[in-house]
Formats: sequence, C-alpha cells, structure tokens
Amino acid sequence: MADNIPSGRGVRDPLLSCRGLVRRFGDQLAVDGVTFSVAAGETYGLLGPNGAGKSTCIRMICGLLAPDEGEVTVCGQRIDRNSVDAKARIGFVPQDVALYPDLTARENLRFFGRLYQLAGRSLDDRVNEVLGDVDLRDRADDRVDTYSGGMKRRLNIAGGLIHRPDLLVLDEPTVGVDPQSRHAILESVHRLGEMGMGVLYTTHYMEEAEQICDRVGIIDNGRLVAEGTRRELVAQLAERDHIKLTASGDLASLSQRCSELDGIEGSTVVDDRLDLIARDGRRLLPKVFELAEQCGVEVTSVEVVEPTLETVFLHLTGTELRE
Amino acid sequence: MRTPVAVVIAGKDLRQRFRDRSALVLGFAAPLAIAALMSLAFRGTEQFHFTAGVVNNDHGQMASAFGQVITSKEVKSVMATRSYDTEASARAALKHRSVSAVFVVPSGFSQSAAGAHPESIRVLTSIDLQLAGQVADSIAQSFVTQVNADRLSVATAVTAGASSGRIAELAASASTLRPPLDIVSRPSGSHSLKVISYYAPGMGIFFLLFAIGFTARGYFVERRNGTLERMSAAARPGQIILGKSLAVLVYGSASLGTMALVTSLLFGADWGGPLLATAVGIPMVLSVVALTALVIVLARSERQAEGMASIVTFGLALMGGNFVFLSTAPPLLRKLALFTPNGWALRAYLDLATGPHRWSTIALPVVAMLSFALAVSAITAILLRRSEVSLS
Repeated sequence: MADNIPSGRGVRDPLLSCRGLVRRFGDQLAVDGVTFSVAAGETYGLLGPNGAGKSTCIRMICGLLAPDEGEVTVCGQRIDRNSVDAKARIGFVPQDVALYPDLTARENLRFFGRLYQLAGRSLDDRVNEVLGDVDLRDRADDRVDTYSGGMKRRLNIAGGLIHRPDLLVLDEPTVGVDPQSRHAILESVHRLGEMGMGVLYTTHYMEEAEQICDRVGIIDNGRLVAEGTRRELVAQLAERDHIKLTASGDLASLSQRCSELDGIEGSTVVDDRLDLIARDGRRLLPKVFELAEQCGVEVTSVEVVEPTLETVFLHLTGTELRE
Repeated sequence: MRTPVAVVIAGKDLRQRFRDRSALVLGFAAPLAIAALMSLAFRGTEQFHFTAGVVNNDHGQMASAFGQVITSKEVKSVMATRSYDTEASARAALKHRSVSAVFVVPSGFSQSAAGAHPESIRVLTSIDLQLAGQVADSIAQSFVTQVNADRLSVATAVTAGASSGRIAELAASASTLRPPLDIVSRPSGSHSLKVISYYAPGMGIFFLLFAIGFTARGYFVERRNGTLERMSAAARPGQIILGKSLAVLVYGSASLGTMALVTSLLFGADWGGPLLATAVGIPMVLSVVALTALVIVLARSERQAEGMASIVTFGLALMGGNFVFLSTAPPLLRKLALFTPNGWALRAYLDLATGPHRWSTIALPVVAMLSFALAVSAITAILLRRSEVSLS
C-alpha cells in the first residue's frame, strides 16, 4: 500500500472531486454529505458494508443519478446526466456484469467504444488492445453467453477502459468471482493505477482495500466516517490492541461488562466472537477472563493483534465488514 | 465523421433484433405466411355471385320491367334468378339455401306505381347470407328509387284524368333502368378488391404491433442486466430514447416494406404504389414507436410490459379491423376503428387498393395517424415527468 499519496480531503488538482453529496430516496437518507477527492494515479477505495451508500455515491459520480445536494466534478467539469463530455472522462464498471450476451466480446467493446465516439481504425486497434489487456483476444469473436463468469468479469472491466478514461470507477468488481479471476482483476487495477489512471474502487472486502488502495474512505450509513492512507487510519488506534475472543455463552452480557472496564474503547459481538479495542490489551486480559467466568461464558480462543484496517472499521462503525 | 450516439444505439438494437429468430419470425415470416394463407382461404370471394328467387304476384307491366332489370347483363355478373310461384316455396328454397335472397313483387305493384301509395318490392334474406341480402336489397331499392321520380309525374297525370296508358310509358321507362354499377360489381371505389390487398397490410400491421412487446421487454431486460445504466454513463437520456425509437422505426419500416414488396410481387396485392404505401406506413410505424414508449413508461417490470403490450397489440388489432373486413363489421366496430392508428392505416390501404392512387386518398388517414402518435407521445411525456422514470 502506497503512503506517498496526498492525504486528507483535499488533494491538489483532483481528478475527481465530490463535495457534500446528499441523496435521499423518499424518507431514507442514503448518502449524507459525502466529500472526498481522487488524484490522478491514485487508487481510492470506498469501503463499507452492503447498504452503506457506496453504489449510490458511484451512481452520482457517473452521472446516473442526480444528487439532492452537492456536486461532482471530473477534471474540473461538473457531472450531471446530460454532461456527455465530462462523463466521457470516466470509465464505469458496474457491479453486475453489464454486457450483451448475444453479441461477441468484440461487438460489445465496439459498441461501448462507439458510444464514446471512437470509430474506424482507432476503434479496431483499441478493441484489440483492451482485449489483450484482459486476456480475451483468443475468444474475441465468441458470443459472451459462452463465457465463464471470470471471463465476463474481465470483459466487463474492458468495457470501462475502451475509451481510455482518466478515471476508472469500479463498483465491487470482484463480487462472486473465483480467487484466480479476483487476483487477475486486482492485478489489472493495480497496473492501471501505476499507469497514471485515477481509480475509484468500492468494495466490502477489507483485504482488497488494503492490497490495492492508496487511500481509503470508510462509509457507513451514508456518511464518510474516516478517510486516509492505511497508516493514517491505523494510527488513529495507536497504542491500542485488538482482542479477538472466540467464546460460547452470553456474549452480549460479557460485551456490556467489558465496555465498562477502564481501557476498553470498543466492544462488539460478531457471531461467536467478541472484538475488543483496548489500550494495553495484554494487561486487561485477566480482567476479561474474570468477567467471562462471571457471565458464564466459555472462552475457546483468544488473540491479541496489532490494529488493522479491519480494527479501524470495527472501531468506527461498531460492525464487522462482511458480505 | 462522428456517428450520432442515437444511431450507434439503434444499430446495436437492430443487430440484436435481426439476430433474434423470434423477431424475424414475427416481423417477416409470420405476416407473410398468414396473409398468404388468408388470401388462399378467401380466394374467390372477390368474384361474388349468388342466386335470387323471384315471386311475381303482380304480373303487371312494372313487374315485367323489374324482371328485365334483374336479368340484365350487368346484374347477371353478380346475380342469377330463379322464379317461384308462391312466397312459401321461395321461403323454403331460401331456407335450404337454394337461393340466397328472394324478391317478392306484391300484387297490384304495377297499378300502385302510378298512385299515391306505391307498393314496395319486398326482399327476403337469410341472416347467414347477409352480403347477398344486402345486394338484393340494394337492387330492389335502386329500382324503386329510380322509378320514383317518374311515378310522381304519372300520378299527377292520372289524377288529372289521363288514361292508364301512361303506366305503360312508365314501365317502358323503368325497364331501361340499370342498377348503379357500384351495387352490381364494384362495392367500393373504382377497382374490385383483391383479398390479399386487405390481408397483406392487415397482417403486416398486426405483426408490426408485436414490436411494442419485444421492444418494451428488451428495455426492461437491458435495465435488469445493467447495460442501460452503462449506456447512460456515456449518453444523454434523450439520445438513448431516440436510439431505441429509431431502431423500432427501422425495424417496423423494414417489416412493412418487405411485406408490401413480397405480397405485391408474389400475390399481386395492391398497396397503392411505393410512395403512397410508404406515406401510410411511416405514420403507422411512428404510432407503434409512441405506443412502445408509453408501455415502457407505464410498466414497472418486464412482466408488466409484456402484459400491457399484449393488451395493446390484440386490442388495437381487434378494434382496427386487422382480422375482419371493416366494411362488413358492425357499426360499433367501424366507429372504434377510427380511434386506432391501424384502423386508419387499413382504411388508407383499402382506399388505395380500390380507388385512385392519389395523395388526397390518404391525406385524412395520415393526419389521423400522426395525431394519434403525437397524442400518445404527449401523454407519455407527461407521465414520464410525473413518475420520474429513470433510464437506469
């Protein structure tokens, strides 16, 4: 994970700038004042559980949905549903495979390319180039409905790259993908970042965010609750430990009792596990075991680890990030 | 040169459409096959001929004159006659379908023709043989009407004391009368109608209406698959709507055009010539485009779109006369057809097939169809704003 990217909410000359985005669906506030920016060559991860507001943010950024408040600019141009030139700076890779199954890979890419005004030889060359990038040149003239899931995912990404966008927006591109294809996708995204393309990557897989993102924004209940590099985020929990206690019994009572201990800053039950954020965790362990015994909880394993992005997420949102 | 985005979208839609066998069958093969079958099934009906019974209870000069009219050369091409001594025997023949209609010339018909209260020639018809009954009735009424003017002058003369010999003059005059040509052999317009000239556009337009269904369904499939959203990330909503409409326009025009070409060349259907046929076809296709947009705006799912499209397709086809000759349909159906674009299109093609190939022949139907398309488009636009339907 790179740490040399400008941090904070304002990067200089941002490729993408989102300011105070608000979006409601009826009475439900889906996105609540989200502000962040992405620089050229930066891979920015928008991390949050399902329903946190990631996809709504993405749809506003790509001009598919008008924000109730706030604005999005790409390369200084404001985005709305009719701003074709500004939208052409973005390559959008939807969460679901959005391809025409009755067309070949080449026909799909030619269509998406022509939507962005590519034509003739330059279109043909670009189609071949992108097909090569996603390793589908051998199957270019086969119909997409004959492809495997992983191949479709790769072609889905190719569709977002065909017009050489400045910013690639990927909405959870690895959902439902086998490990091999996931690895290939993450490699591709990493390579694009290195080539200078700005990447906005939403995911609810912590390890993906840690692996490829220069900066991460944590979104929960429609709000951006934290933002920074991995080091910056983890530094928020400096000198704290993450105690993972696997146990059976009344974990809710134990969590309640633990949260009253001096030095415990967070206590969350996730299935058969109790997660504690603690200052000097090792010192507190005997007291935790004592409380467990009092609550009738049988501890089967205990682990004290350095804070990770997952710990930060747990600390900030009180929930575990999972599918 | 840059290709407009709407054209790019239309091109993609058409590529998919022409790759889809069901769309090819519905747009091209099925209408051709069914029109050909219907044409074969109804072959010969354009050379309409029947036998009418005649019961002469008068035996006077006017009855004789009527007999000359109904056995004239012109009438023989449509109707043969057979005499019966009594009305009962004629009725029996009608019941057994030995004849299709019966003329009953009442006793005293000739004498009354010169008086103030003339008798009428009665026509007995069968409910199953309505067309023959209508033609027979028209011939009888035509005879009586044309005699009527002379009858008034004779009645005046007799009242003034003239001899009954004037009746002979009236009868002589009446015997030279001929039923109007349009009753005898040309029910409408100036050409006789070939059945294929009605059923070819009828079936072509009926299957064109299916475009509403598969276009609307295709829209919802694109929305479900996310391709519509992907398109929206590159194009304006208006460009997408225009592109999809353009695809329907091209597909519909190709379908109707192929139907016109093939049925003209193979079956001799008369569509009124390429220009006039196109001038009628385009507003019809535009109406289909407008209806497609309306179904898309009203429906909330693929299933709803299919249901609505089926109702629109079969409702319009039934009301507009795609399955039955409107000229023989009940008055209510003929009135309902005026509210349908296909009803107007069929009327235009029928007029072209039976009348002169003039722009004035199709002017009213074209205006009516364009008005329909505009009205539906306006409703769609209002609904679109109210429902805030998103392209994605």
